[in-house]
Amino acid sequence: MISLHYLTLRYGKRLVLDQFSLQLPEQGITALSGPSGCGKTTLLRVMAGLERPESGHISGVQPAQTAFLFQEDRLLPWRTVGQHITDILPRPRRGELPFWLNFAELSGEENSHPSALSGGMARRLALARCAALGGTLLLLDEPFAGVDSQRTARILNRLRQLNVPIILTSHQTAVLNACDTVIELDGPPLHRV
Amino acid sequence: MNERLKKCLKAAIPPVFWLGVWQLAAWCVRQELLLPGPAAVGRSLLALAGTTDFWLSVAATLGRVVLGLLWGAAAGTALAFLTHFSSWANAIVSPAVRVVRATPVVSFILLVYLWTPRAAIPWVIAGLMVLPVVWGSLTVGLAGLDGKLLELGRAYRFSQGKLLRLIYLPALRSHFSAGMLTAFGLAWKSGVAAEVICPPSQAIGSRIQQAKLGLETPELFAWTLTIVALSLTLEGLLRRRLEGVNRV
Repeated sequence: MISLHYLTLRYGKRLVLDQFSLQLPEQGITALSGPSGCGKTTLLRVMAGLERPESGHISGVQPAQTAFLFQEDRLLPWRTVGQHITDILPRPRRGELPFWLNFAELSGEENSHPSALSGGMARRLALARCAALGGTLLLLDEPFAGVDSQRTARILNRLRQLNVPIILTSHQTAVLNACDTVIELDGPPLHRV
Repeated sequence: MNERLKKCLKAAIPPVFWLGVWQLAAWCVRQELLLPGPAAVGRSLLALAGTTDFWLSVAATLGRVVLGLLWGAAAGTALAFLTHFSSWANAIVSPAVRVVRATPVVSFILLVYLWTPRAAIPWVIAGLMVLPVVWGSLTVGLAGLDGKLLELGRAYRFSQGKLLRLIYLPALRSHFSAGMLTAFGLAWKSGVAAEVICPPSQAIGSRIQQAKLGLETPELFAWTLTIVALSLTLEGLLRRRLEGVNRV
């Protein structure tokens, strides 16, 4: 199990996590659901080691072995679609490029720059880049924002086939329905519903 | 009137207009010593271009300006990164660079004359003028770097080299280009000014000084025209090169 123990975190004076504890399954796809601003993103960022809580600790997660999909695409305007993937892959794995392009349904776009991509395409590229990074846990913040429902279903299926535990946040009912576990949250400060 | 002819006229009319103004002024003054006409300057330039000394002087000045540009750009870049990453270095170096930027070039030429050999003064001065410009441009660029991209680099375990190659350098290209283009003009002006004040044996500045002392005004104009033509041509080449780099 992935366990979060008594996490407290605030942004300035705003308390986001208040002695928050939660247990998450170590396999399958787990969704964190809740209203905007309740602290889902913060929780993922803490698990990824991008935010340091004031108190509390996490067990079952090694930040150095997680891959984190940011809420924004954070693509590099000067790199092509193909380069976004190969930049992440170590040299022996560069041959995987076609696999990851196919994963995100971006085959044929490898020479395009982010400025030429639609919002959904950019999101799929960011997701493929994150998945290509690999690791023992994928933390995905709104992975399917702007992606049409049919593609979402297909890509979610491909994510499942990677056999890596996934924790994601989403507001999309179709995504939540396809996950193995859905945890409802409310806040801030964050608490389990 | 077709477009091509329009374009040719648009390019030709300004220089023809200004040459006309120059010629008219020369006719009014009627003293070649004070203001030689374009024809006299052209003859002088042709005569100079036929000598080996002209080309050696041009090559020597060009070499010094380029050397100054290179060391000034390298030092400005290194200091920009240093002052960005170290608050201590910033506290110590930034005021010094600002003082260099604010100091008149003539003061520097006379000061550097006390410490360095005469032949080195032009490239030392050119570099000193380039350094604060490149430093300033890159400092602004570094301060404006997208923190979210840097966080991405850290989260995706980019090495320092990869962070530099994929995020820092591409994001700073336009700032570096703008700084270099401004600095290039300064390097020419300050380098030649240093050659005039502290003339080395082979230099455009030395020839300007000699022409002035000999009251050879057409020759003085011819050397000045040479500097302007070289500066504009090389700036154009640099601009094209930097635009090419920015498109990558």
